[in-house]
Amino acid sequence: MRFLKLIRRNLFRNKLRAILTMLLLAVIFFFVATLLAILDNFESFSNAGEGANRLVVQSAISLANLLPYAHEAKIRALPGVVDTAKLQWIGAYYKEKSNFFANFAIDVDKMPTVFDDYKVDPKELAAFQADRRGALVGVDLMKRFGWKIGDRITLKRQIFPFDPELTIRGTYVHPVQTTSVFFPIEYFDQSLPAQTRSEVGTIWVKVKDPKQMAAISQQIDAMFKNSDFPTETFTEKEFQQNFMSMMGNVKLLFTAVSTCAIFMVILLAAITMSMSARERVTEIAVLKAIGFEQRLILGIMLTEFILLTLIGGAIGSFGAHFLFLFVDAGKMTQGFLQNLGVHAKTLAVCMATAAGIGLIAGGLPALRASNLRVVDGLRRVV
Amino acid sequence: MDTLVDINNVRKVYKRDAFEVPVLNGVTLEVPRGDFLALMGPSGSGKTTLLNLMAGIDRPTAGSIFVDGKEISRFSETQLASWRARHVGFIFQMYNLIPVLNAAENVELPLLLTKLSKKERREHVHAALGIVGLEDRSLHYPRQLSGGQEQRVAIARAIVTDPTLLVADEPTGDLDAKNAQETLDLLQRLNTEYQKTIVMVTHDPKAALHAKRTLHLEKGLLVNGYNLDTMASA
Repeated sequence: MRFLKLIRRNLFRNKLRAILTMLLLAVIFFFVATLLAILDNFESFSNAGEGANRLVVQSAISLANLLPYAHEAKIRALPGVVDTAKLQWIGAYYKEKSNFFANFAIDVDKMPTVFDDYKVDPKELAAFQADRRGALVGVDLMKRFGWKIGDRITLKRQIFPFDPELTIRGTYVHPVQTTSVFFPIEYFDQSLPAQTRSEVGTIWVKVKDPKQMAAISQQIDAMFKNSDFPTETFTEKEFQQNFMSMMGNVKLLFTAVSTCAIFMVILLAAITMSMSARERVTEIAVLKAIGFEQRLILGIMLTEFILLTLIGGAIGSFGAHFLFLFVDAGKMTQGFLQNLGVHAKTLAVCMATAAGIGLIAGGLPALRASNLRVVDGLRRVV
Repeated sequence: MDTLVDINNVRKVYKRDAFEVPVLNGVTLEVPRGDFLALMGPSGSGKTTLLNLMAGIDRPTAGSIFVDGKEISRFSETQLASWRARHVGFIFQMYNLIPVLNAAENVELPLLLTKLSKKERREHVHAALGIVGLEDRSLHYPRQLSGGQEQRVAIARAIVTDPTLLVADEPTGDLDAKNAQETLDLLQRLNTEYQKTIVMVTHDPKAALHAKRTLHLEKGLLVNGYNLDTMASA
């Protein structure tokens, strides 16, 4: 503690250089924190159904190919299956394309059993199930558009040839999925041309015992292997990951970009820190002459360099944290990134990385300074 | 008077790439406690090297150095650092104050290595700045002080831990005549009033006149026979 004043004064001895270095670090860490938050967002989306014991059955050809309703009853009859629900992603939007969010047609009567992690007030659930054009809306989406129960909303078509006209009958709460709209699959089905009815994109299967999921998955696919509509069954996590992977290997891309940015900042920080240490050769020699030990000099300099990177890293990563508290990334990204936020884990990773940068970039200059012979340092004219 | 610094047949050879440069060639010297010794000699004669050796910031190639009964030439780097903090005060030609610290903070630096409380450190700093007559400049930064004042702050830093030995390397080399005189008077007062043992390297015969005795080095050896009075009036 008694050396903090010396460290603090040295940190800002060249104010312009210190501020520019911190700003550079702040920009890089804002960028890295944002990328990590996006990855985190994807990850939480993939883990949305964790512990829910659900399988997702889709066409073996692609998600765009539909399955006949008849598959559902056969799947439900399998031992170990608690219940099944048909679910169709609609892909409509509200008023403008920028108001994009997930909207699904669903077997409303199966929601309490298959999607039991979606918490709904029983009265609201009953009202939703009773209304052919009723909608169940995530709490965050209600807030985003200022909707109230009883409001009538119309979604605009993008994929299927109809515009769902819905009345909000209730809201649901879920740890991850808080911005979706569900409405009855009968309404969806009856709005389609006769030749495309009674088909659905996915059938969700609630399984009693998680240990049986792999076996049931194989049984389902084996059952339809030689039919006109072969299936491919995934756990919910695999399904969500497949959905995300349609965008390409985003994780690899983001990790590569973040690594490059951090490598670049290490080099720039190392240059700054080397300059800073070099300018102080005589002062370091004086400190050593009056009794500052090698380890103490090393500690003081490393603390200074790590503080520099920590301050820059904190400005950037906490800046991103606070920005996404107040800015609706969902709106900015046309609904692509819902509930984007830089969470505590990401902040901790950023701060640890910042400290690591200080240690790596400042390690050599600090070590060289601390190893300096007093007589050499006093003789040196910088 | 008992001996504070006892240097026995000390040799120092620097290695410069493939070459060996002998700087001290067997110096034997005793500095009594309370002495004010001036070391003179031409450039390259080894006077600063001798000063550095007795201050424990360099090690001899051969020979032994005892200070206050301890053979510092056998100390490790860490032992030397700790020993210097307690026993040696340094005064440099270029003052070498830390520019980001004010006068009081510069003087306080050696005390940070002690177990003194903040209050005790403040009292010591106040006392040291009082001795050099700069209490009113304690909050001034080095850039806000004249050369003479900077050197007096450096002297306060050197004496604040009440060291056994004060070493001064050309303390007036960067000062005008008036400030040089004030600095030398201060050193002389530290020697006479506070019984500080001082070893000073200087080129200036007038500066050496403030010392109790003067020794000359030439080509790494102590030599005798110089007439200081003649040199000072030259």
